[in-house]
Amino acid sequence: MIESGLQSAAYIVAAILFILSLGGLKDQESAKRAIWYGIAGMALAVVATVFGPGVQNVWLILLAIAAGGFAGYYIAGKVQMTEMPQLVAALHSFVGLAAVFIGLNADLMLGEVLELRYGLAALSGVAPETFLWPIPSAGTLFTTPEALALMERAENLTGFGKSLLAKDAVEIAILRVEVFLGIFIGAVTFTGSVIAYGKLAGQVDGKPKQFPGGHMLNLGALIVCLILGILYFNGAGIWSIFLVAIIAGFIGYHLIMGIGGADMPVVVSMLNSYSGWAAAAIGFTLGNDLLIVTGALVGSSGAILSYIMCKAMNRQFVSVILGGFGGVSGPQLEVEGEMVPTDVDSVADALKEADSVVIVPGYGMAVAQAQQAVSELTKKLRDAGKTVRFAIHPVAGRLPGHMNVLLAEAKVPYDIVLEMDEINDEFGSTDVVIVIGSNDIVNPAANDDPNSPIAGMPVLHVWEANQVFVSKRGQGTGYSGIENPLFFKENTRMLYGDAKDSVQAILQKL
Amino acid sequence: MKIGVVRESHEGEARVALTPQSAEQIAKLGHECMVEAGAGSRADISDDLYRAAGVEVVETAADVFDRCDVVAKVRPPTEDEVERLREGQTLISFFYPAENEELMKRASEKGATLIAMDMVPRISRAQKMDALSSMANIAGYRAVIESANNFGRFLTGQITAAGKVPPAKVLVVGAGVAGLAAIGTATSLGAITYAFDVRPEVAEQVQSMGAEFVFLDFEGEQGAGEGGYAAPSSPEFREAQLAKFRELAPDIDIVITTALIPNREAPELWTEDMVKAMKPGSVIVDLAAEKGGNCKLTVKDQRIVTDNGVVIIGYTDFPSRMAKQSSTLYATNIRHMLTDLTPGKDGQINHNMDDDVIRGATITHKNDVTWPPPKPKQAAQAQPAKREKPKEKTAAEKRADEAAAFATQTRNQVGMLAIGALLLLIVGAYAPESFMSHFIVFALACFVGFQVIWGVAHSLHTPLMAVTNAISGIVILGALLQIGSGNLLVIFLSLVSVLIASINIVGGFLVTRRMLAMFVKS
Repeated sequence: MIESGLQSAAYIVAAILFILSLGGLKDQESAKRAIWYGIAGMALAVVATVFGPGVQNVWLILLAIAAGGFAGYYIAGKVQMTEMPQLVAALHSFVGLAAVFIGLNADLMLGEVLELRYGLAALSGVAPETFLWPIPSAGTLFTTPEALALMERAENLTGFGKSLLAKDAVEIAILRVEVFLGIFIGAVTFTGSVIAYGKLAGQVDGKPKQFPGGHMLNLGALIVCLILGILYFNGAGIWSIFLVAIIAGFIGYHLIMGIGGADMPVVVSMLNSYSGWAAAAIGFTLGNDLLIVTGALVGSSGAILSYIMCKAMNRQFVSVILGGFGGVSGPQLEVEGEMVPTDVDSVADALKEADSVVIVPGYGMAVAQAQQAVSELTKKLRDAGKTVRFAIHPVAGRLPGHMNVLLAEAKVPYDIVLEMDEINDEFGSTDVVIVIGSNDIVNPAANDDPNSPIAGMPVLHVWEANQVFVSKRGQGTGYSGIENPLFFKENTRMLYGDAKDSVQAILQKL
Repeated sequence: MKIGVVRESHEGEARVALTPQSAEQIAKLGHECMVEAGAGSRADISDDLYRAAGVEVVETAADVFDRCDVVAKVRPPTEDEVERLREGQTLISFFYPAENEELMKRASEKGATLIAMDMVPRISRAQKMDALSSMANIAGYRAVIESANNFGRFLTGQITAAGKVPPAKVLVVGAGVAGLAAIGTATSLGAITYAFDVRPEVAEQVQSMGAEFVFLDFEGEQGAGEGGYAAPSSPEFREAQLAKFRELAPDIDIVITTALIPNREAPELWTEDMVKAMKPGSVIVDLAAEKGGNCKLTVKDQRIVTDNGVVIIGYTDFPSRMAKQSSTLYATNIRHMLTDLTPGKDGQINHNMDDDVIRGATITHKNDVTWPPPKPKQAAQAQPAKREKPKEKTAAEKRADEAAAFATQTRNQVGMLAIGALLLLIVGAYAPESFMSHFIVFALACFVGFQVIWGVAHSLHTPLMAVTNAISGIVILGALLQIGSGNLLVIFLSLVSVLIASINIVGGFLVTRRMLAMFVKS
């Protein structure tokens, strides 16, 4: 049995280990060590809690942990790297759901403890508001069997229950606010993540879709939640908070349904943030500092990721979440020229002659599962003594850093995979750029055309290279529906067809 | 349809309008190719090579004219060749309609269609069939090679055991296609290259090729005319330009002039006194010799040496001197023209007069002279928006800007802090001690989180999300603390929470580890 003081010490160590494990992600090598800090911190926290004061049903707990752990092990081993966005979204939903359950539990337990407390207060002759636990001189005050039974129930309360009993009226009021926040955020995270999962996994249509009323409906639902919250705060029963959970669930569902598939990097980061805040709210409810610290870490991490993603699209967070693009102030520039198709032979010839090659992957590469072929191409070109690098736009793919993971999985060395800022000045001295399955992130209109919907978005300046090949399925526009003048440039050639087939065909010719 | 190519009848013309490669591509359009025997011999393409590519080789030009629907050649047709044309037949070649109006009229009377490769509009879509450009490219290259051949020194600077050799200085006048090709060749041979053009917007292209653009101290109109060519310049501008050249002349070893203005005599840019000012052994290559030359001393098709020992080359057949290369490019231009004429790839020529490119290049069609064509709809090169040069800020201004930025930053930061502090005070005034102690932890953790996460590498954002997934499984603690309740519902919900939180913890950490293990250095 671990004492309360020892438990606090373990929590402090765990919190520090968590911070180190996040901080270690500053580069690839230290990250490999840092992950163990995180694992150790988590193990310490769980052990210190399970074997700490006030926890019962240890066998049930161990059984649940074992079952959950096995499921986690199975999923982590089986998931494809292209499916990472789905997995992350699914894991967010679990945190959200757990937060809702724990919030509901907190209220259920609060109900019981309050009942107990009114009884004890009545017996000890004080008003419930001024009731204190532990009761001074309880031994002389309580002599009847009823009173002793109540006392015994109070004594038997464990963990969270005992701390509830010790709360005064203001603290209980605050607790209700915390429960409300925890459940609200948790429920939004849960349904939102489930929808995000569905969209990423292709089980829900990726197009933005909303009920009539759109965001006014969300606003209405939010107001209803607030009213229910006030009712709950003033003593309405568990039904009110239960309704809050359901309506908040609807908000999460409706909000994410209204966001298009390509905005998912922002959505997933946002849900990441929410799952953290939900955990922090639960931490406040339970008065557990480790939960608060961890929740705050995760929450700020997600917030920063959302910020980076929005910055990379030059869009306001609110406008991404509310869907749609900002107003267009005038006619867009006419696109001149024509898209010139090319064939695999010309690409291969150009690659043979090139000294430096930059590959710009996008979501299309992941969809076509072309990363393995791209990796082979890279290897072949590097073996031939050419400089090959990758240019990664922050919002390429469906998850922050998604492309990096896919390329890493295909065994592309990470030191040739560069960020936008690192490589943007070097396109001018590049012979051949191959764009695989990306569109808006290489759209020069963002720079040239102040009336373009994506004006001002930082993009990769691929057109500065001598020759650009764009591997693309067809002639359509990107997800934003914006014409891409890059495709019409004189130094651009279009290679139509499935990215994987195209790259493999190029490999054959080299 | 049958596409035929004849042997060039012009004396000294070595190019040919069809190569085995282009023939294979043309066959893919559904056409059959035919070539006059010996047509490619001066471009090192034997008849056997043609046969191997599936081209029928016939004995005489007459056979080609008789049996083909489309005849392609390089030089403008001779009178005899025009006489051989028949109604509905198409001839594709250079034509220079302004100089050959009689021939053009004759062809239209015969009902033949003439497509002049020199009339292909200079828009980006038509670049692939812009034979003038592809020939100019070769001329520019060859001009440098010829000049180097006539120049008695290295072009590149060297330091040898026998002493130091300075690099040659090359001036290219006119940075069109030929000029840019000359610049590229000269710089890659190691010469110090200067370039001049009346269109200042090409300065960027010149610099990107490694040459120095010669700027004039001149304010006023100048610039590009229609179709990507230069417009005639004003007398004042011309004076400024000549003054600059005069200043440069004594230093320059090789001058390559490429200045042409459509349908005019070539402007005189390199005057006699400049030639006199040059060192003996210097070389001038005048690519405008055909139109009278940019230097008045140039003699068309001749190499002359002036009294002060300057070599002036006035050859007009540079592309033909590299017949294999120019035939390859020209044949490809022809092939692209046929591709546009055969939109269905079914071997049927569809002469679409609504198409800008085809309309522009067609000079006679169905008994009508269709030259000159109406103006093309698109300008060749988008006029670059006049770029206001950002004014260089003085050091004092920069400092002032920085100070102002710093002041706003400070104001914002202090403002945010003040608002934050105020909010905290309000919370603190009402909330109990127990809440505030947790709140401190929360606020500090947020700060630590922000600081730590900013340092995370962008490439590790996905592992970051997975690891935060894992550690947000810490909600398991909440469930663990509640599981001791007597209420069965509470126990059940807690157990479910423990279960799913464990999935998060184990799944999150393991998948992160799997991902991180994949990142390997080269």
